[in-house]
Amino acid sequence: MYCDEALDAVEAVAAGEVTPDGRLADHYATCPDCSTALASARELERLLHARPAPKPSTQFTARTMTRVRRARWKSEQVLDVGFNVAIAVVVLAVAAGVWMLVDRTGVTSVSSEALDMIGRSLVAFAQRVAPSLPVYAGATALLVTALGIWWWAERDASF
Amino acid sequence: MDHVTDAAGERALVERCRSGDEGAFQELVDRYKDLVFALIARTVQDRSQAEDFAQEVFLRVHRGLPYFRGEARLSTWIYRIVANVCLQDQSRAKRTVSLDAVDRDGSRSFTPSTRDRQFGDLELRDRLEKAIARLPPNYRLLIAAHYLQGVQYEDLAEALDLPLGTVKTQLHRAKQQLRRLLDTELK
Repeated sequence: MYCDEALDAVEAVAAGEVTPDGRLADHYATCPDCSTALASARELERLLHARPAPKPSTQFTARTMTRVRRARWKSEQVLDVGFNVAIAVVVLAVAAGVWMLVDRTGVTSVSSEALDMIGRSLVAFAQRVAPSLPVYAGATALLVTALGIWWWAERDASF
Repeated sequence: MDHVTDAAGERALVERCRSGDEGAFQELVDRYKDLVFALIARTVQDRSQAEDFAQEVFLRVHRGLPYFRGEARLSTWIYRIVANVCLQDQSRAKRTVSLDAVDRDGSRSFTPSTRDRQFGDLELRDRLEKAIARLPPNYRLLIAAHYLQGVQYEDLAEALDLPLGTVKTQLHRAKQQLRRLLDTELK
């Protein structure tokens, strides 16, 4: 015997997975090379078992949860944008459909008078509203601020 | 019995996570963070990178939970994700570990002699870490996982999609390679 055989078994013997039988045990006891190999394999086994297990920082869970929330928020944002785009496409398609229908039925030929009337109404509405513009501007600013606060709060919201 | 209780608890936890319970996911992170972090830190050997990778693992777990069918144990599935994250990184950038710091006086043998045991152990551990860093990534991962409490051969085999015998053989080869490195190049 059989150094090759003994050396092949060294790792398993050192790990305690194999108990050397009489022949193998005798060889480890008498062959200096195999005996040294077994000693170093046992030492390696001891060191590997004693290898410290690094611990994560105390903030690990909190940081991970923040990353998870951010990722979730981003994916929800993508969904929101996708939904809004889909709605816009549908609205445009419906508008285009209505326009084509109106065009084919010849209603457009009488619509110039209607457009003039709508234009005049809009001008009259603008003249009536002009004195209250600062109030409307203030209301718009308030609305934008509220939307901003909502967006900020939603960004760090939980699941 | 404990195993059955664990499995039932694990399933319940997964279900709570799937229903959007943030507390449940936090519990999952708390339950597995030590194991995941230790496994990664032993493989990549850079603490800040290890923390980043460990977070990445839990992000993938969170994303994948809706598709987790429960055919494997949760821990096995998590090990698989850890293996993917670690091995992907290894294939992106090959680690280069400087061996300049290694002593070359030729008098140090791998098996400690009469010198102070504690000091010898520290020195040996340092050489061991350097030797491990020179192993191929899959061997490094196996060594890291096998010597962590709670990681079974079977879990590793399932996570790495390898037969049990192959895992054992690769582990023995990894240790042979380590011994060779410690006995020769890192002497």
